[in-house]
Amino acid sequence: MKKKLTPYLFLAGPLALYFIWVIYPIFRTFIVSFTRWDGMTKPRFVGWENFVRLFNDRYFILSLLNNFKWMIGFVILSIPLGLLFAMLMDQKYPGHRVYKSLVYLPMALSFVVIGQIWSWVLEPSGGIVNTFLRWIGLENLAKPWLSDPRIVTYSLIWAALWRQVPYAMVLFLAGLQSVDREHVEAAIVDGANAFQRFWYVILPELRPAMVITITVNIIDSLRAFDIVFVMTRGGPYYSSSVMANYMYIQAFHNYRMGYGAAIAVIQFLITLGFILVYVLNVLKREERL
Amino acid sequence: MRKTLKATLFYVLCTLIVVLWMVPFVVAFFTAFKTMDEIFMLRNFWSPPKTWTFENFKVAWIEGRMGRYFINTTIVTAVSVAGTLFLSSLSAYALAWYEFKLRTVILMIFVSGMLIPFQMLLIPVYRFSVVTGLYDTLIGVILFHIAFQLGFCTFFLRNFMATIPSSLFDAARIDGAGAFKIYSKIIMPLVKPAVAALSILEFTWIWNDYLWSLILLQSDAKKTVTIGLTTLQGQWISSWNIIAAGALLAATVPVIVFLVFQRYFIQGLTLGSIKG
Amino acid sequence: MKRLLVLVLATIMVFVFAKERIVINSYMSDPAPRKALAELVQIFQQKYPEYEVVVNTFAHEDFKVLLRTWLASPKGTADVVTWFAGERMRYFAEMGLIVPVEEVFAGAKWEDYFPEAFRSTCSYKDKIYFIPQSWYWWGVYYRKSVFEKFGIKEPKTWDEFLQVCETLKKNGIVPITIGTKFPWTAAGWFDILNLRINGLDYHIALTAGEVPYTDAKLLKVFEYWRQIIDKGYLLPNHTAYEWQEAATFLFRGQAGMYYMGQFIKDVAPAEVKDDLDFFRFPIIDPAVAPYEETPIDGFMVPANAPNKKGAIVFLRFIASKEAQEKFAKDLGRLAANVAVAPPDAHAKKGLDMILASAGVAQFYDRDTNPEMAEVGMNAFIEFMQNPGKITDILKRLEAERKRIYGK
Repeated sequence: MKKKLTPYLFLAGPLALYFIWVIYPIFRTFIVSFTRWDGMTKPRFVGWENFVRLFNDRYFILSLLNNFKWMIGFVILSIPLGLLFAMLMDQKYPGHRVYKSLVYLPMALSFVVIGQIWSWVLEPSGGIVNTFLRWIGLENLAKPWLSDPRIVTYSLIWAALWRQVPYAMVLFLAGLQSVDREHVEAAIVDGANAFQRFWYVILPELRPAMVITITVNIIDSLRAFDIVFVMTRGGPYYSSSVMANYMYIQAFHNYRMGYGAAIAVIQFLITLGFILVYVLNVLKREERL
Repeated sequence: MRKTLKATLFYVLCTLIVVLWMVPFVVAFFTAFKTMDEIFMLRNFWSPPKTWTFENFKVAWIEGRMGRYFINTTIVTAVSVAGTLFLSSLSAYALAWYEFKLRTVILMIFVSGMLIPFQMLLIPVYRFSVVTGLYDTLIGVILFHIAFQLGFCTFFLRNFMATIPSSLFDAARIDGAGAFKIYSKIIMPLVKPAVAALSILEFTWIWNDYLWSLILLQSDAKKTVTIGLTTLQGQWISSWNIIAAGALLAATVPVIVFLVFQRYFIQGLTLGSIKG
Repeated sequence: MKRLLVLVLATIMVFVFAKERIVINSYMSDPAPRKALAELVQIFQQKYPEYEVVVNTFAHEDFKVLLRTWLASPKGTADVVTWFAGERMRYFAEMGLIVPVEEVFAGAKWEDYFPEAFRSTCSYKDKIYFIPQSWYWWGVYYRKSVFEKFGIKEPKTWDEFLQVCETLKKNGIVPITIGTKFPWTAAGWFDILNLRINGLDYHIALTAGEVPYTDAKLLKVFEYWRQIIDKGYLLPNHTAYEWQEAATFLFRGQAGMYYMGQFIKDVAPAEVKDDLDFFRFPIIDPAVAPYEETPIDGFMVPANAPNKKGAIVFLRFIASKEAQEKFAKDLGRLAANVAVAPPDAHAKKGLDMILASAGVAQFYDRDTNPEMAEVGMNAFIEFMQNPGKITDILKRLEAERKRIYGK
């Protein structure tokens, strides 16, 4: 009897708070997505109109495609790099803490600041990237990073990675603490080389950290907003727009809260789709253990 | 011989990475010490200042009302982090260790709350705090942060807790320990590295939070550091040097927190010593 | 017993001497205006000690988002808010979210305080809802020394203007600088070209959504604009720069001209400030009277304000010559109050230019529906990057207009 109730007792407090501040507002958002509402007067029910409009909205489709670019960028770059940095800097040489702290620094800054700084770094004429490229003679590589519609999204992803990689690094550093040294040493005794040790011993034991990092990177890439908003506001003419950015403009600049809510719902469902598949997979594997 | 090779490799690689990584930061640093006129006339953003000026920091502190805002932000962040860590450890414990019907559903509820683009929550949450009188109070912001972070923290801690061998749990149960005792005396100490990492992340996020402090606070006296920073941004004019100075000031606290909590990554508090 | 008496007395004192509160939410986050407002508040509190005024300042973009939430909130938290005149203000008046402030003029008339020309932009359905505080103009800014160096005079007609551009370009100077990272600077060009070619009435009809974007008259605007683009007179990569960054080219003598608002002087470095001057945007069609952009800033009162009476008292103070003069002087702006003289020669030149104009407009994104403004301004940028695609762009804009205005 007591056993059955215990988990619910533990969950009562957190769940209550969560429902009030998070779940209920999410429901409100779902409802609003079926209305036309300017945030001030009474909302008007319009059925699927917002969603239909979304799929014919070229700027929304563009935002969606950009989000996928972000996702690919984050997953194939921030995870391996984060892991690499973590493994590299976790070696306990004197000064390793200094290195870690310095790489961590971008995370201590707010997104607004990061966006501002990278705008300066990527400035076409006075920024350090182009100045450096010109200095070493690679002038034709000195592109207008933020004003060329074809490359602007990649520049933004780059700026975001500056912070995303240390983030992954912190998560992996925590995970590395759970790796059993004895297992690693046993592998050395068994004659495994560095790569084999990494692949067969360390990596499996990093699973909790890996799950979190992958999940977080997928979510963050689909949810990207601040960097885009601060650096280009989705410009030039929507070429760097992402879903969250487009939604913000629709809801808070154009006062189309219903349309904005519809975008949020789509964004939510897409993210949920990815995460559900991934997390359920992980859970299944855990059950087998 | 091999050892020194490894050591040199370490230092070379690490230094290379750090140098690359610090470039944007150095840009911000230099900008914080320049005068606005110099920035305008020089037209580049990377050279060291011709005249180093501390004026920007002074202005950022005073105009950005940093003294007051540092206090507000510290209160909000510290209480929120403590609150969310405590509550999420409870829910993570329940989800990791107990088999019950709604387990997966509840876990997915926590996870899905992480996925919503938070801008959409703005209006419902704002309305709620106005109606309940929590608007323009620090406690309102704190409650929101605790609630909102529960999703991620529960997910995160649950994952780490799930790797603890169940033999420990069973042994304690057989010994007659109650659920709360097992939670506090056995499980929690083992997830310290995870909690430390989480507290760093949470502290950084909540410290740097902008949107919610903006929506849920009105009075100048109650605002947080990030809001104070943006009011340095004028209607027309961006005083980049002052903003850079203010940003550096604001960043000192999360960095210190990182330095302090980093120790928990270093200590050999591994599960391995128990597993053996 | 004695203690109780003291307590009762103290409580009574608190109530008797309690100050009434007036809460002002402002977007004047630049240091100079912020200081000026704070000082005005001080003066007000000295004059009216029964009031305690609290000013909350917000970053400009945030304010725009927050204003709506405040106005629509079931419980009001602000008594006075800063805002712009024009369509943006009328929008709220129409929804009953702000209240008329006619009592400010009790015993006097609008014309005793403010120019007749401003009246319509501050009212809705003949009631005054908005108290203007300051306004500024847009002009083509340049550095006197640069013009002198190449023997250039302020151009008066479009052809003269193109000549000036050519001269500058030949001498290695970018003729026109502009920063379009945030597209309102492009909207400025659109507005003034439209005003010059098609006149004020057409422009107002357009911003009210009554003119199709595929109209032949509108195409002319873009044809003229295209001349500047095709001849390469614009700053390269302008979409990467904010307006301020683009201004640095002007300050450093690398660019010749910038069509911009008067606040560009606020940000000019000391060594350049006095070298800056401006001229009226050139006349394109002599048959069309000169119109200019004069965005007006001021205050309004939310319908859910807790202390409406206090708000009116404060606004009466703001409208007074004394308050308007101080604000204008401190910032080098033009006061809305007719009794206040322009604070310096530069402001006088601006005022004269406006007085010599036949009418004024507010600015594209202040005069038009925000959603239309958003797609419109982005369309201008797209045009600037791809001038050949203008017919396509206009077709798309027209589809948006139909959808937004439902006409």
